[in-house]
Amino acid sequence: MTEISSGAPQSRQPGAADVGQPLFERVYVWELPVRIFHWVNAASIVVLFATGLYIAFPYLGPSGEPYDQFVMGYVRLVHFATAFVFTVNFLARIYWFFAGNRFARSGIPWIILPSWWRSLFRDIKEYALHRYQHPHLGHGALSGLTYTLIAIGLGWAQIFTGFGLYGETNPGGFWDTWFGWVLPLLGGSMQTHTWHHLFAWGFVAFIIVHVYIVLLDDTIYRNGLVSSIVSGIKLRRVRRIRARKGRLEVEGEPVREHHRSVGSRNAADVHVSEDDEAAS
Amino acid sequence: MTRTPATSSQPTTYELLQRHGVSRRSFLEFCASAAAVMGLDYSEVERVVQALETKPRIPVLWLHGLECTCCSESFLRSSHPIAQDLILNMISLDYDETLQAAAGDQAEQIRRDMIANHPGEYVVAVEGNVPTKDGGVYCTIAGETFQHILEETAEHARFVIAWGSCATNGCVQAAKPNPTGAVPIHKIIKNKPIVKVPGCPPIAEVMTGVLTHVLTFDRLPELDRIGRPKAFYGQRLHDKCYRRSFFDAGQFVEHWDDEGAKKGWCLYKMGCRGPTTYNSCSTVMWNGGVSWPIGSGHGCIGCSEENFWDNGPFYSRTADVPVPGINSTPEKIGMVAAAAAAAGAAAHLGTLMIKRARGSKAAEGDGSAASAGDEGGQA
Repeated sequence: MTEISSGAPQSRQPGAADVGQPLFERVYVWELPVRIFHWVNAASIVVLFATGLYIAFPYLGPSGEPYDQFVMGYVRLVHFATAFVFTVNFLARIYWFFAGNRFARSGIPWIILPSWWRSLFRDIKEYALHRYQHPHLGHGALSGLTYTLIAIGLGWAQIFTGFGLYGETNPGGFWDTWFGWVLPLLGGSMQTHTWHHLFAWGFVAFIIVHVYIVLLDDTIYRNGLVSSIVSGIKLRRVRRIRARKGRLEVEGEPVREHHRSVGSRNAADVHVSEDDEAAS
Repeated sequence: MTRTPATSSQPTTYELLQRHGVSRRSFLEFCASAAAVMGLDYSEVERVVQALETKPRIPVLWLHGLECTCCSESFLRSSHPIAQDLILNMISLDYDETLQAAAGDQAEQIRRDMIANHPGEYVVAVEGNVPTKDGGVYCTIAGETFQHILEETAEHARFVIAWGSCATNGCVQAAKPNPTGAVPIHKIIKNKPIVKVPGCPPIAEVMTGVLTHVLTFDRLPELDRIGRPKAFYGQRLHDKCYRRSFFDAGQFVEHWDDEGAKKGWCLYKMGCRGPTTYNSCSTVMWNGGVSWPIGSGHGCIGCSEENFWDNGPFYSRTADVPVPGINSTPEKIGMVAAAAAAAGAAAHLGTLMIKRARGSKAAEGDGSAASAGDEGGQA
């Protein structure tokens, strides 16, 4: 999407009043499958953590005879069912990694490339010193590394430890056959439980930092990051608008296709250059 | 599936039992109960009978390493295959420091003769683990380190049985900080099949069941991923626990003397390791089926599981995580990590606000309306 708006994100033809204002373009960054993945992932993590806490520390004590109670049974059922949703969601995201637009692939830690390391240290420096100069449309080096190690890494760790433990309920069955090797690897069932708990708390720490950084980025760059995970659209600052020979034009840059304010709504038309390409 | 008799002149199990005055009826009872313990169909009893009638007893060298002999104590109290002397008669126990009559050089000579004269025929049963630190000096027998004895004896064994948690996974001696460098036997014996029969001690019927299986079918029982017989270690205690319905209902003992404890509710919150422990306690039980820990109102401590001693405390559902200097559960660590994340975010935001405040003051000082601090970050 290539509409231009000045100041606040709104789509209209720039006018004389916009001279000197920064210019944004709307870029369709997060495609629908990415957004669905994000929210299904978020919801299942919440459900899994809540039910997981109950399973580890059951606090409801129903009275009466056990034959008409099934509290732990239902909580475990929800935990396991949600675990399948979480896993299928992860697998679908792997498919979309290849099928989606280039933002679906942004953030891969290219540790073999010196340019990636430069981007990483630049990102770290900018966040550490509050010198925010390089907004990213997709994921930058730092955020990409964080998502890969923490969000994706923890996710897979939970999937493997979780299905390993799930396999215990049916020895010799499918889940035990394919994931049972995790238990001896981690030193037995009890140790696997311990790791499963630790990883779960890793999500809590991750979510705190994740929400903070998202709010911070949105505030600093005014790039619509928060709403982008609902709408898919991020704002990218291009240049300032200036008047030249009676015509409005974008500073320092020839008028490009994205100046057509009633541009195509096809996301593939978005033309993004330089920094974002390198970082993503 | 025939095996050249190790010592063909030796009597079969049945012949030996006859000499001891065991009746045909008692012998068949023994075979039936042994088959039942192995989990065999009733029609398979005949194979047990045939095996014990025709095959010479398995020659067994029973080695004791770093251990407490509780496995032997348990084995001797086996009740299902009738009585302890029958069990001992099932095998030809040619060497066992605890039980043998011979002593000193005479005893060691029996072991050496077996290795020299019947390579590939005898079974090595190992009780205890192997201290490896300081050249293995923490367990020596007849002037030799146990590590050397084990390597020498296992070299020509048909297969090896790891009796108990010591031999299987190290047990107490290998618990942190493991001062003697004790290791389970599979770290020493690499080239022989090992049947692991963990437990501290293992259930007697499980031990005799393993031996009867070998004698009957002339091969090792079906083993699971880490080498335990599936028949006895295939499921968790939890899955066949008679208190399982209370677990599913969500009814848990909260204190040792509360109403739930009196009603026999689930001991999960009292630290019961049933959900993480593979053994036959909930079905075979102990002391001839008299009772078992959970049946007596106490949680399982998971004695047949790896690292069970380090997975404490026994009365807490979650194990302590060995963070140096403090005892911590995964939940405490998780909460600290979450708090640290929140504090880090708050500190980051705080420094940003301080910087912004300074920036706008400087901008006011310049008399410039445009805030460099606010917009300078945009590219």
